[in-house]
Amino acid sequence: MTQIPPSQRGARSHKTRLSSRLRAWARHHRVMLVDSAWRLVRHPLGNLLTMLAIAIALVLPAALWLTLDSARLLDAELEESATLTVYLAQEVDEMQANRIEQAVQAQPEVAATRLISAEEGMAEFQQALGLDDALVGLADNPLPASIVVHPASPEPAAMQRLSQVLSELNGVDDVRLDLAWIERLRHLAELGRRLALALAVLFGLGVLLVVGNTIRLAVESRRREIEVVMLIGATHAFVRRPFLYSGAWYGVGGGLLALGLLTLGNHWLSLPVSALAASYGASFSLPQLDLAGSTILLSCSTLLGWLGAWLAVGRHLSSIRSR
Amino acid sequence: MIAFEHVGKRYGGRFEALANIDFGVARGEMVFFTGHSGAGKSSLLRLIMRLEQPSRGRVMVAGHDIARLHASQVPFYRRQIGVVFQDHQLLFDRSVFHNVALPLEIQGVEPRESARRVRAALDKVGLLHREKALPIELSGGEQQRIGIARAVVNKPALLLADEPTGNLDPQLSADIMALFEDFNRIGTTLMIASHDLALIARLRHRTLRLRDGRLVADERAT
Repeated sequence: MTQIPPSQRGARSHKTRLSSRLRAWARHHRVMLVDSAWRLVRHPLGNLLTMLAIAIALVLPAALWLTLDSARLLDAELEESATLTVYLAQEVDEMQANRIEQAVQAQPEVAATRLISAEEGMAEFQQALGLDDALVGLADNPLPASIVVHPASPEPAAMQRLSQVLSELNGVDDVRLDLAWIERLRHLAELGRRLALALAVLFGLGVLLVVGNTIRLAVESRRREIEVVMLIGATHAFVRRPFLYSGAWYGVGGGLLALGLLTLGNHWLSLPVSALAASYGASFSLPQLDLAGSTILLSCSTLLGWLGAWLAVGRHLSSIRSR
Repeated sequence: MIAFEHVGKRYGGRFEALANIDFGVARGEMVFFTGHSGAGKSSLLRLIMRLEQPSRGRVMVAGHDIARLHASQVPFYRRQIGVVFQDHQLLFDRSVFHNVALPLEIQGVEPRESARRVRAALDKVGLLHREKALPIELSGGEQQRIGIARAVVNKPALLLADEPTGNLDPQLSADIMALFEDFNRIGTTLMIASHDLALIARLRHRTLRLRDGRLVADERAT
């Protein structure tokens, strides 16, 4: 009994104890990992329902996030097609137009240009409207020559600056850039991102509550066992360990089910989505959760399960101890 | 080994379970506590286990004031004390073997070493042949012996017992006491709370008498 407070132990015995304690610690982790899994398997239905509840809570924010991710791809594509149109003055002839195009091309913020002469503009216009003959009656071509400019950067501010510079060139009548829809799209995407984040936080809390409540019941049903092991010298970590593993298993199960539900939903929606996209002449398919995304989802759900268990056991340990 | 220095314990501010308890127990001693129920026997044991803290005075174990142990040290302190509970505190969902192995499992003893020590403890209490049984299949006396095996499996220097023969017939009680005397012979310090005065008188060990939370007699063995 001379060694009662741990600090009173001799240094050497403390050292040998450390390595064996570490081994014992790892062994207990191993045993509890398997033991807690067995406890889940022994009551498959109830535990499956818990995992399903977790899965449903995870699917909604994950699906929204996926949708936003694909919208971001679409967004990038659209930004690439963002151009400025430089309208030249009516009196500018073809040679002057070529010179202006060269001047435009010389700008550092310009990636590429394409000159559309007044005649080509007329032809495109007619084709686009399907009015082959209606404009033939016009004596003069009312359209000016124009230059389509692809900017180096699709950033709205950069495009704004470029448009300012180009409008000051000689022979340039007007510069048009349609930024409003890009801005709108950006705001929409930002809104979606914030919504997804808020949902993720809310549903993450939901997962914590589901796991916490399940673990609370498990602690309650093993209350006597906890009291006995604490009487004979179990540390809190020892008591907590099996429940933490149970929580983590709930998270793993819920995460896997969520991945399954997402795949299922993808199959269910992919046909109408691609049909819809095709009707707009675009090729767009629903995004799949890739390996990195799946790993993130699974880690998050495992972590949430573990955390939920930790909170529940911590609260109940203090209530048991105070008795 | 153990020293109570003017220890008092109140519950809820009013009820005085122990008042001015002052005694010492030397290493290797075997001491009985007697007294009617509510005299403070259990409170005294709970103080030594540090399940409770004294309202007044100090409880010294091996020269340390155990009130000063940090909460994180308490589990390690308890591991050095074997406790036999009146109601056994066995776990009914695991076998006799695993009940006795529980303290070793908590301490992280290597499984092969643990099995050896569990069998040695079961052999000592004469129940080696029941290691696979569930506690519910055993008689009251056998359950108590399993509780004793669990208390001694990690060879504690101090063994506490709270009414270990409370529900047993005289013959079984005598067997259990003989077992305790065996442990005492190999150097274990024992503190046993019991109201079985006839049995205690026969065993001729030091006896502390409690009445209404006060120590009224300290009778040395003659």
